Amino acid sequence: MSNNYLSGKEIRAIAKENKKVMKRLEAQKYRKCDESEYITEMKESSNILEIDELHTYFFTEQGVVKAVNGVSFDVPQNKTVGVVGESGCGKSVTSMSVMRLLQGPTGQIYSGEIRFKSKDKDGTEKVFDIAKMPMADIHKIRGNQIAMIFQEPMTSLNPVFTIGQQLDEVTFIHNPEASKEDAKAKSIEMLNLVGIAMPERVYNAFPHELSGGMRQRVMISMALASNPRLIIADEPTTALDVTIQAQILDLLRDLKTKIDGSIMLITHDLGIIAEMADYVIVMYAGRVIEKGTVDEIFHNPLHPYTIGLQKSKPTLNSDSETLFNIPGNVPNPINMPAYCYFKERCSKCTKKCSGEYPEMIQVSPTHFVACHLYDEE
Amino acid sequence: MALEKNLEQFDTDAILEVRNLKKSFPLKKTLTGKVTQELVAVDDVSFTLKRGETLGIVGESGCGKTTLGRTILKLHKSNGGQIIFDGKDITNLKSKDMREIRKKMQIIFQDPYSSLPPRSTVGGILSEPVEVHNIVPKSEIKSYVLDLMEKCGLRDYYYERYPHEFSGGQRQRICIARALSVNPELVICDEPVSALDVSIQAQIINLLKKLQQEMNLTYVFISHDLSVVKFISDKIGVMYLGSMVEFGTKEDIFSNPLHPYTQALFSAIPQPDPDVKMNRIILKGDIPSPANPPKGCRFHTRCPKAMDICKEEIPEYKDYGNGHCAACHLLG
Repeated sequence: MSNNYLSGKEIRAIAKENKKVMKRLEAQKYRKCDESEYITEMKESSNILEIDELHTYFFTEQGVVKAVNGVSFDVPQNKTVGVVGESGCGKSVTSMSVMRLLQGPTGQIYSGEIRFKSKDKDGTEKVFDIAKMPMADIHKIRGNQIAMIFQEPMTSLNPVFTIGQQLDEVTFIHNPEASKEDAKAKSIEMLNLVGIAMPERVYNAFPHELSGGMRQRVMISMALASNPRLIIADEPTTALDVTIQAQILDLLRDLKTKIDGSIMLITHDLGIIAEMADYVIVMYAGRVIEKGTVDEIFHNPLHPYTIGLQKSKPTLNSDSETLFNIPGNVPNPINMPAYCYFKERCSKCTKKCSGEYPEMIQVSPTHFVACHLYDEE
Repeated sequence: MALEKNLEQFDTDAILEVRNLKKSFPLKKTLTGKVTQELVAVDDVSFTLKRGETLGIVGESGCGKTTLGRTILKLHKSNGGQIIFDGKDITNLKSKDMREIRKKMQIIFQDPYSSLPPRSTVGGILSEPVEVHNIVPKSEIKSYVLDLMEKCGLRDYYYERYPHEFSGGQRQRICIARALSVNPELVICDEPVSALDVSIQAQIINLLKKLQQEMNLTYVFISHDLSVVKFISDKIGVMYLGSMVEFGTKEDIFSNPLHPYTQALFSAIPQPDPDVKMNRIILKGDIPSPANPPKGCRFHTRCPKAMDICKEEIPEYKDYGNGHCAACHLLG
């Protein structure tokens, strides 16, 4: 709800200001540069992805939307990291930033580092800073070493090409010397891997001939076709029915061990997180408010929002009369306050909360929380 | 459940009784208009609902739960069976006579973004049904609407605002207020919380529960989210491909699910507790197309316990005590 409307003059002033920044960032995105410019070092060698103080902004006419406002977390090798939050909390924008799929010139990575440990075909490991990579080089990583599974299997497949053509394309792009027969064999192998019953028939089918669950399986097989080291699954089961969701989750769990990779799982469903993830990141209004292992987050949640989120979801085992609810709404992403974003909805809010935005506090080696309640004093 | 059961036998506690309701949509017609292929969306569904109770209807997409809700409201014309509302058979009422009944049965739609008229203010949206149905005298409409808005958790200065100025949760509150503005007895909630965030969902569910107690409402709550249905319902009906496969009280259904589909559905829900390791029944394959449903028991293509008889005969929908009905050959 925006009750402060902007005049035309104000909008023009904002647009002028935005244009300057967008032009600079766009130029940086399409610059030509040497590999040495974006090679860095990992902080922790066991991680495959490290996101460090990422800021992703959208420069709109109403003002700058800080969709991701200082997000940091790591994805360790062979682990599943679950990112959970409500709509508009920036979880999808974080994944889009990692894939560099933000819609320019409005959406831009403003600052921060995304370090990714990439492995060449000959096995040499290099660490790239994805945030600084020019678009011309991004194909070294995108779709090849990091693959993404999107939310809407209905709209992510091209309706005018057969499944086979779309799957073969992946092989051709990442391995231009491959022959047609090789590509087909590889595609059918992938379809088999994701448990599609008649891969030859599906290979020649068009997307509209398949059901939602089948399409999502095809999307997953497409993501796997290039042997990625990291799979980003952005709400992979939201559009599916529960019984189909159970099939897909089972498949993802199974595949993680088969391909020996990591998964970054983005969802709003705490049940899926509890079942799939090793580490959990809780996001609220563009910031990470709590992170830890799955046991820590579910058995010892610290941030009032995490606690509220868990209590407000009815479960099959609970028998209470009324549901706990968090009052109010998610704040407007433009002109965020300087104090804790959750202050207005928080029941445990103290005087201190009107001050600065709380720092990340370390509670245990793996458990972090951003809340003044746990300040050391 | 025989159709010839007379209206005199109608349970006086009951507000809604549905007997062998059927709704099909034509897919192909000949030139003369004869239907050659049809999609049976609701097939032989029967249940009784008492005043003040909540019936939860669960099932996967395409199982006909929304069509059932709409057919009860007569937004779709039924192809067979009876709908008895408040002791009156409304199945074949003319639209003129239906208007009187309409104010007693209302619906809340799934998507609060597209079900509010963008060009009227909240005040206009809420006072129109009051005016049309002559609920209160003209001079009292505004105070009546403001009162209603307060009940639904909307502030009074929202009266002059337009729907686009509100968030999803607030819009759903407006939709609820609109449905309740005519003092209905039965409200059909068609996935009222699926488009909302978890923290907002809880607010809306609590509001619905509070209003039910205050106004003695009867709900038919349609949802694919079993945990929400369990929370709000007294009775639960599980649908699969157009037919009711199991029906009973919440306690019966959750503690003792009879039908293999219900069992699989319950086990498929991810639990927000990392320590719970469930023995998950994973169903094979997809939901068959409702335009071409399998012969015999409709669930036999995916059923882990399917027998030979399931492929041939449609199982009978029987009462297994305490109003707990199911349709499965396994139960004998």
